[in-house]
Order: sequence, then structure tokens, then C-alpha cells
Amino acid sequence: MSTHHMNLEAYRIDTEPFYLPVGQEISIAEAAYHDGTPLLLKGPTGCGKTRFMQYLAWRLQRPLVTVSCHDDLSTSDLVGRYLIRSGEAVWTDGPLTMAVRAGAICYLDEIVEARKDTTVVIHPLADDRRQLPIEKRGELLTAPPEFMLAISYNPGYQSVLKDLKASTRQRFIALSFDYPEPDKEVEIVCKEGGLSPEIAKSLVKLAVMTRGLKDSGLVEGASTRLLILAGQLIGRGIEIKTACRAAISEALTDDRELLAALDEMVSSLF
Amino acid sequence: MDLESLKTRFYQLVAPSLPNEWDVEAALEPLIDCEAEHLDGIFSQVPAIWPVSHSLCFAYLSAAGPALSCLAVEELSLWVHSLLDRYESGGLREARLFMDDVEQHYACRLRGEGGVRLLDVRSRLQPYVNGLAGKEMPLVAADEAGTDSESIFLPNVIGVLQTHEHNFFLYKLIVSFQWASLRAGMYLGPEWMEETEKSAHPLDRFFSEFSEPEKARSLYHIFETARVLNFLRDELPGLMREAGTVLPQLPLTGDDAAHPNLLDWLQRGVLRGEWPAPPSPPLFVQAAALIKRCQKEGEDNRLSLEAVRELMPLIPETEVFAGTRPLLFQGVMRLQEMRNAGAKEEVEKELRLMKTMTVQLPSIGKKQLPPDAQSVNTAGRSGGDTAVIIDTDSAWEQLPPFLHSLAQRIDNSESQQSEQSIDQSAPGKSGVIDQTVSASGAGKAGQIFSRLARGPADVKTDEKIAGPTVYDEWDYRRKGFRKNWCVVTEKELTPVQNTFIEQTLKKYRGQIRRLRYQFELLQTSERFIRRQRDGDDIDFDALVESLSDIRAGHPPSDRLFIRLARDQRDIAASFLVDMSNSTAGWVGQSIKEALVLICEAMEVLNDRYSIYGFSGMRRLRCEVFPIKRLEERYSKAVRQRIGAIGPREYTRMAPAIRHLSSLFAQVEAKVRLLIVLSDGKPEDYDDYKGEYAIEDTRHALLEAKAMGIHPFCITIDRQAHEYMAHMYGEVNYILIDKINQLPSRMSEIYRTLTS
Repeated sequence: MSTHHMNLEAYRIDTEPFYLPVGQEISIAEAAYHDGTPLLLKGPTGCGKTRFMQYLAWRLQRPLVTVSCHDDLSTSDLVGRYLIRSGEAVWTDGPLTMAVRAGAICYLDEIVEARKDTTVVIHPLADDRRQLPIEKRGELLTAPPEFMLAISYNPGYQSVLKDLKASTRQRFIALSFDYPEPDKEVEIVCKEGGLSPEIAKSLVKLAVMTRGLKDSGLVEGASTRLLILAGQLIGRGIEIKTACRAAISEALTDDRELLAALDEMVSSLF
Repeated sequence: MDLESLKTRFYQLVAPSLPNEWDVEAALEPLIDCEAEHLDGIFSQVPAIWPVSHSLCFAYLSAAGPALSCLAVEELSLWVHSLLDRYESGGLREARLFMDDVEQHYACRLRGEGGVRLLDVRSRLQPYVNGLAGKEMPLVAADEAGTDSESIFLPNVIGVLQTHEHNFFLYKLIVSFQWASLRAGMYLGPEWMEETEKSAHPLDRFFSEFSEPEKARSLYHIFETARVLNFLRDELPGLMREAGTVLPQLPLTGDDAAHPNLLDWLQRGVLRGEWPAPPSPPLFVQAAALIKRCQKEGEDNRLSLEAVRELMPLIPETEVFAGTRPLLFQGVMRLQEMRNAGAKEEVEKELRLMKTMTVQLPSIGKKQLPPDAQSVNTAGRSGGDTAVIIDTDSAWEQLPPFLHSLAQRIDNSESQQSEQSIDQSAPGKSGVIDQTVSASGAGKAGQIFSRLARGPADVKTDEKIAGPTVYDEWDYRRKGFRKNWCVVTEKELTPVQNTFIEQTLKKYRGQIRRLRYQFELLQTSERFIRRQRDGDDIDFDALVESLSDIRAGHPPSDRLFIRLARDQRDIAASFLVDMSNSTAGWVGQSIKEALVLICEAMEVLNDRYSIYGFSGMRRLRCEVFPIKRLEERYSKAVRQRIGAIGPREYTRMAPAIRHLSSLFAQVEAKVRLLIVLSDGKPEDYDDYKGEYAIEDTRHALLEAKAMGIHPFCITIDRQAHEYMAHMYGEVNYILIDKINQLPSRMSEIYRTLTS
């Protein structure tokens, strides 16, 4: 049986991603990295969690391995499995093992979506042992100091089934993300969407309004990401109201009355 | 057509009722000259209206002829649809008004012209204003627009402008303007005026400093309006751009006046930007300059207040503003109500503080109050307050939702009362914290504690009886809903202790054991699937085979892995049990036994299930009895409630189905089953029977299906085939003709349905 290792060079981030810090998150994350403590990022969708990880990886000059978790994600999807290649069983590392070996940053996005038994595999890696047992190979990997584990989840989905176990979450240093303050959000939308500050400001106002609709049937308000998408459409010459409808209203809801109300907001603002 | 043949035709339509001949003649007379085609159209609507109200039907017959002058015959059924809606919401008077002016009330709207009703725009504007304000701000119908800082008041209908779109825009403008007036601080008290405990709003006190407070009030309002409009120009540029085309069309009271007064003149300036030559120059010019200053540099209401101070002494007594109506979107300033709303908030804040305190100091309770304080509490006026509060609270649960806003307003005034009593009793406002052991302060504390003490009890009653819910009912004759027609109340069954459960368990001992075994087989299974392209482990059998295939020169398989598959049952089931009078005796007994058996069997499964009973009499008293809620365990209480199932009143099935569907709609499950156990046709004390009842039930089931719920019926009615297939669909019901088989068959049916 041979072992198949992947090259992680492709996972390196060479150019600086745009990230506007909103608080102490960068210094906290760097401190955690140097202490070998894993990170837990929480916050609503599209508020910049993933972008923060990219920025951190660039800052620390480590490759970033991202796994988007889904409800069928099994332990072997993370750790690795034997594959048959030309009549021979070949061990292939999963993304987590790969990151541990290479001393990369492994980012498990939306960890609550993964099966409960899968989450447990990161436990020994997330405390001071920093070890990853690979049962099928009888191997015990110890993570190098450069390795970092980060997970993220969205506490907004208030489902009993989709909550993180206390035994898992109590191994992490937690950073809470939210939509940035309006001024900063305007700056981000300006920069990423390539817009004039006036339009960006109105877009952010719109987003703030939609975020106030949580009790009126909207699960979540417009995220910063949606604003950027709308901005990009506008930048391509699409009329503002149409862009808002396509990138924001329709993305947020299917409910006709809410759509009508969102349209009213757009027509009031622009 | 002559009167006789019209009469014959009418009597045929309304049979078997026999209305008075002279009524019929009077109603039919206007139709004698109608064209035959029109007559057919008019008569075709009679079956839909007659059962709803005879007087309405007569009124309709007299009005239908003239109505056809501006309606096409095909539009008649839609018109009748709206007519019935009007009748059901506002009675005969409203319906007559609606019929009187077909052109204005109906035809215009069809063409997209004319007035807009709040009713029709609320669904669109409510989320809009919630988004603007970042919190729930209910839109409430009132004579004049305005806000009390918690809700926004809007007129019932707006029809000032020509087109539907413009009138809708006015609604939107009112909502935005009222929000902006709060946001821009129109209602803040003047800085120099100290906040006191007096219940009058600081602005009211400011106005009362002048000899003519009403004038000062109107002036202040128009100055602030100018400023708020400017604020809106910055905040919502799109809105104000549209306003630029719509607002100049808005009629003003000053338009017709030969000599506009100052207010008229200012309204015109603010609204249309027209500043015609003023009648008395110095005053008007100064006012215009002041208003422009407010627009330009008005950060807050300070400038407007100053302007009022400056202008008031200059206005001669001959200037009378009484005849000038405020601008439509301006509405009236509801300062007193705002004060009340604020007071309510403060009382609530205090309550919250008390709540946290009780959590931290659990030993402080009612008992530890000094005895004299308690006597004050019961003897003094605070005691009276307490009683009032409890009354409204318990009444709340019994009120239908459409009365809640009213109740809230009653509650508002009550809070204000209690706030006033705080002011009187305790110097530091919070009679609770600085318990200066004044007896009245302690009494106040008692009141708050007594409110808190009810906290948990409230929660309990919530669990027991949720507030009544209102549902529509389908009327097949008019192919439309009767809006808010049935009131469904959840009622608690008092658990009964008897030997029924033990006897049933004993009687069906063997069967239960078998059922449990069968149900266990249904459980979630984890199994390995071999020979997969992708999986957790290598399937060595497959691998060996494929290797030998290669050696033998055959193409090898690539299915070499084992995967662990979990078949998760994600099922939620709801059993709806008929508790009508006809289930008395062994029918009810069998149903109860069947429920015990199914519960026993379900315990080995992870399926979530609920059991509800239903009965009631008439549309306003449809009752649903929770026997086991979805998340509830199969406990002793549940068993005792099953024991308590007994025959009650009638079978109005559709409201119960709608209620369960709405509960079910919130449940996440792959399969949602609604199993109805019934012994006959749906029927109620009133006209709810026959085709009407069957069609309504069928429609309720269709609504359930649309929500992704699978309805299924188990019936013991031998005539079931006649109507069941129509109601549930061919394959969605089963007839059990031997009632004693029901207990065993039911579990079997459930098993087949879910596997």
C-alpha cells in the first residue's frame, strides 16, 4: 500500500485579499495562532467570515484548506481513505490530514451542517494534544506549530439539530462576526463593488432596513455579500432598481408581499 | 319578462325557502325591463347570496340592474364576491353603500382608478415600515394620520387623487413621513423645558405658554413638516423624487379661499414651492424666511420652536387657522397618546428590572413584604390596579386576534394609570428600588410582584389554551372564502383516572407485543451498502473479484467500496379524532382503544406524533382538544386524556383540519401525515351540512396538501364511498366496516402508510 500526498502550494494565497478590520479580530486570531489554539468564527451569512480566513492565511503566509461541510460529510471525507488505483490500495489523505501534515490552516465552514459523529474527530486536534489519529492506518499525526484549525457556524439558524455541542465549542477561541457598522460597510461595498459612495450608502441603508424585517418573515437580512453583488451588477451598467431586485430582493425571499415591500424600499431609496 | 315568470324563477332558485311574496315582488320589479342575458347573469348569483342573507339578496336584486350599466355581465360574479366580503366585514349597511355606487366602489378600481383601501395595502406597507423603523410598528386605521411612537395611524381609504397608483403612493408617503417625524425628532420636548413627572407632553406645555395654543401647535407642525420633508429628501431620495410629481396635485384647503390665511399660505409654499404675493407682507415674508431656515439648517426642532416663539406675538387675532386642515400626510400630532406609550414603556422597563432582581434575590418574595404593606396593597387603590391588570390579561387570551390591537390600547391607558400612581406614591419614580419604606411605595412593589408572580402561571395557561384562531371558510357557491369565518379554540381535556387504559392494555396484550415488534422493524436502520463507487471502506469481496477479472482479461468493476447508509425516518404524524355526539358508545370506545394501541406501538419508533380531538357547535365555537402535542411524551397525563375522550357536539371538520395544518406547517419533517378518524360526514348545528360542508372540508384538505401535508382518513361510515373519494381522493381513505377491528387495523394502516 502506498500513500498519496497532495501538494498544498495551490492553496497558498499570494495577493492580499481586501479585508477591513472591524475590531480586534486580527490580533486575537494571530495570538491564537501563535498559541496553537483553534478558532471559532460565528456570524450571519455573508458578513465576511471566509474573507477573514483568507486574509489571515495571507498574513500568516500559510496555505488555507477550506472544507464546506454538508450533512453527509463523514469522518473519512475529512481524514482520508483507501482508494484502489490499478489494483493497489492507495491511501489518500483527506483535507484535514493534508493540512495537518503541511502545517496549513484548515477551515471547516458551516461545521454544524456536518454529521455529529464527524465533528468529534477534530476534538483531539482542537485541544492541547493537537493530534489527529488516523485509525485506518494506525497512525497518530501530531500537528506542527504552523497548523491551525478554524471552524465557523451561523447561530442564526435556530434549530435544535443545528447547534454545536458544548464539548466541541469549548475548545475554541470564539470570534463573533456581524455586519459591519454602516460607515465601514459603505467602505467595503465601495471598494469591492466598485461603486460611488452615495450609491453604496443607499445600498447599506437598504440592507439595514431588510435586517429590520426579521420579525416580519425574513429569515435573514441582506448580507454585505449581497450588497457587493448588487454593486457589481450596477457597475456593469444594469439599472439600480433592477440590480437591487435581482441581487437583493429576489435572493432574500420568495414571498410576494415581502418582495413588494422590498420594492417599495428600493424605490424610496433610489 | 313579466313579474310572474320572474317570481317562479326566483322561487325555484331559493327552494326550499319560501320568502314573502310581497318582498319578492318588490325586489323583482326593477328587473322586469332587463334583457334576458342580463337576467341570467343576475339570477345566477342568487344561490350564492341567498344563504348568506335574505335581505342582502333582495337588496342585490334591486341594485343589480343599475349595476349592469357600468359592469359587464361577466364581471358580475366578481362584483358579488366583493359584495359578500363587504357584507361579512361590515354588515348590510356597508354592503348597501358598496352597491349604491358601483362606479366608484368597484368599476374604478377595476380600471386602476380611484380610492385605495388600507386593507389592500397593509400587507405591502407593514413590512416596509418595519424595515424603515427596524422594529414592528403596527399600521392602525384611524380618522387622521399620525403616530404615537409605537404605531402609525392611517386613514381607512385614500381617494384624493385620480389614479390608484398615486393614492397608494400617498399611503406610502404618510407611513414614511410619520416614521421620519419620529426619527428626525419632531416630538422631542424643548431643551429648556425640564422633564417632569407631569403627564402632559413637554410640547403641549410649550404650546400652552401662548395665548392661543392651537395656533402655536399648527405653526409648529407646519415648520416641522417642512424640516422633516427635507430630512426625507436626504434619507429616501427616491420617495421624494416621486413626491415631487404627486404632491403638487394634493388639494389644499387654501385653494378655494379668497384670502388664504398664514397657514394656508405656508402649506402651499411647503407643498408646491409656490410663494405667491402675500396678503400682509411683513408677517408672511418673515414666516417664509423662517420656514426656509428650518428647511436649510434644521438639525433638530430647536429652530421650529424658536420660529413659533418669534411669530406668535406678531400674528393678529384676525388670522384664524381653524378652517385649515392639516396636510394629508401630516395628520395630527398625537402628543398625549405618545406620552401614554412612553409611560407604558417605562413601566415595562421597571418590570424587567424587577424580574432580574427577583432572579438574583430569590428569597425576596411576596411573603417578605411587611404586613402593613400588604394591607395597603389590598386596601389602597393599588389593590384596585392589580385587579384591573389581571382582568385584561386573562381576557386577552379569550379575545380573537383582530381585537388584540384594541386590547393593547386599553392596556395602554391602564399602564398610564399605574404610571400615574407611581408618580403620586414614590418621589424617585421607581417606588421599587428606593424603597423609602413609605407604605405606598411598598404597595407599589407589591403590585409589581403580584404581576411577576403571575409570570409562570401565565406561561402555563399559554400552554394550556392558546388564543383563539380565526380561519376562513370555503363557500363553494360563490367559489370564494368567507373571511375570518370560524373561530377555533384549543381547549384542555381534563384527564380522567379510570381503569380504561389498563383494561385496554390487558385486552390487547398479545396484539401490542406483535405491533411493537412490527414497528421496531420500521426503525431507522444503518446498513452497509456494498459495491459502491465511493465509500468509507474497501469492499474486499468486490476487490478480489475485480482483480481476478483483470487476470482473466475481463473488464473490472469500479464498484469497490462499502458505504454506510442511514435510512432516517423523518415522519411527523397527527391524528385528528372526531369527538362528535355520534361517537357515543362503542364507536368512541373503539377509537380510544385504537389510540392506546397506536401510542404503545409508536413508542418504539422515533416518529413524532400528535393527537387532537375536535368538536364544537357553530362557526364561532369550533373546539380542538390537544390530547398529545407533537413534542410531548406519551405520559400518564396523555393516557388519562385519551381516557377522557368522549362524545361532545357537532362535526365541523374543516376548521379543525385548517388548525392542524397551520400547526403542522411549522414542523420540519420529510413526511407529514394527517390522519383523520371519523364516523360520518362533516356537519354542524347551523347550515353547515350536505354539499357545503363536504366542499369546505375538501377545500381544507386541498389547502393541507398544498402545504405538503398528506391527509388520510379512517372512517366507519358505511356511506363513506359516496363522498369520501371526492373529499380525500380515491386512495386516501379507508373504510372499516367492523368497528371492533379498528384498534388493530389502525396501527396496520399507519405502518403501511409510512413504510
